[in-house]
Amino acid sequence: MLMPSTLDKLYAILRRDLLTAIRHRSGFVVMLVGIFTELAAFYFLSRAIGPGFRPDGVEYFPFLLVGTGVYTFFVMSAQAFLSSVQESQQTGTLEVLMTTSTAPAELVILSSISAFAGNLVNLLVYLLAGVTVFRAAIHANLLSCLAVLIFSLAIALALGIAAATLQVAFQKGSALLWLLGSGLWFLSGTMFPIQSLPRPLELLARAVPLTYAIDGMRRALLEGQSIMAMAPTLALLAGFALVLLPLALAALSLSLRRARQNGTLSFY
Amino acid sequence: MDRVVFESVRKIFRHRPALFNWLGRERRGETVALTNVSFAAARAEVLILLGPNGSGKTTALKLLSTMLLPDAGSVRVGGFDTRRDAGRVRREVGIAIATERSFFPRLSARENLEFFAALDEVSRPDRAQRIQNVLRDTGLEEQADTLVMKFSSGMYQRLGIARALVKRPSVLLLDEPTRSLDAATTAHFWATIRTLARQETTVLLATHNFAEAAAVADRLLLLHRGELLADRPVNDGESAEALRSFYFRMTGEIDEKVVIGSS
Repeated sequence: MLMPSTLDKLYAILRRDLLTAIRHRSGFVVMLVGIFTELAAFYFLSRAIGPGFRPDGVEYFPFLLVGTGVYTFFVMSAQAFLSSVQESQQTGTLEVLMTTSTAPAELVILSSISAFAGNLVNLLVYLLAGVTVFRAAIHANLLSCLAVLIFSLAIALALGIAAATLQVAFQKGSALLWLLGSGLWFLSGTMFPIQSLPRPLELLARAVPLTYAIDGMRRALLEGQSIMAMAPTLALLAGFALVLLPLALAALSLSLRRARQNGTLSFY
Repeated sequence: MDRVVFESVRKIFRHRPALFNWLGRERRGETVALTNVSFAAARAEVLILLGPNGSGKTTALKLLSTMLLPDAGSVRVGGFDTRRDAGRVRREVGIAIATERSFFPRLSARENLEFFAALDEVSRPDRAQRIQNVLRDTGLEEQADTLVMKFSSGMYQRLGIARALVKRPSVLLLDEPTRSLDAATTAHFWATIRTLARQETTVLLATHNFAEAAAVADRLLLLHRGELLADRPVNDGESAEALRSFYFRMTGEIDEKVVIGSS
């Protein structure tokens, strides 16, 4: 169970990020315009391709809706978290934050939860707009959705922390995001099933955790599959989370210690 | 028992140029920030760190705050080693560093203090009152609800001091705290330092200001090129001029004020 002081800190971080976000006056409007433009593009793309194309047995627009929604959630969450680390290096807050009574690992996890909470709201707005405005057909099993989301969140958290680790260690956190942004989108089944890829790339795609997060969310949200039916996918997601999260935290702890030793904590 | 202990501390910063920086002039090298520095500070003592730019004052403060770790020797605060018990050390220490803009620009002064107070585990019932007190002590009451992005450098500096004070640390570290402050705020700040010392707080203050040293110091450390040149008490009533001449005599630097005065 979370300690009261940890909840208090989480509240302080969420409040800081919320206040900062709403005081960027146009930020929310830009986000909404971006979501609707993207959805409109995918809607018309799926209409242009026609109803005959049914990847994994579902209509193409809902397939795209879930794929791009989950993919964007992963990348933007890691990006938001990395940006907050980069900003705190540039403004000098990182050094000061590291002298507070809060342990660095706790601080990092709480900050990343805040970054991910904001993007979770974006994902929900994205899916809701897809269903209500663009009439995407869904048959959701909410329990399965929640299970996929929790494990996906843990994996995304690990990716965000890994990006922050690279940023603190080599000032190159954006390299991981570049890899995510440009390399993994076509390997994770975001816009087409991975079975369409050549065999070696398909095998590579099966090693990417994002593939299972997207596939799991499609099956839970579009096909309404039960927890039992999705057990193998959930087990894989849990396995990725259990391996990646402690690894990312250990790497971050090491890089923070190295930065304190070398005096490079505020380098960017 | 001494509350702050520096024992044979060495800190070196190594520069590694970028891998493909063929066009730049940056070369591999190292800067010796502190060499074999030892000192201690007792409960309720105000220790002034004097020294020219690059002498190691800020490095010493950062080592005490756990922002940096020593390459050799040990740094202890309240009996806790900064390497092994960094978490315990951080609970004891409050730091105001010279970087003015280390705040969240779209939060007000009060919101920034509330945020850092939560991370410093200041209890919720005490928080609002403590924040109000430090805002009053640093003369920021009227600007408490202004976004800090609109602050002047002097106001940033006052807010930095307020942030260090709000957790009521047993060891207060201040890096050139009055650099951008006006005369009245500076005088009030010096009085605050003496009050804190009477309340058992150990204060380490890095400065270039001899008047500041004369006003608040119990003891003076003189650093020069990473070495500790002097560690001596500051006598009651000892003037800023006396400290100035001591500084130039010890460091061997030329006092332009004397040169101009004699020409």
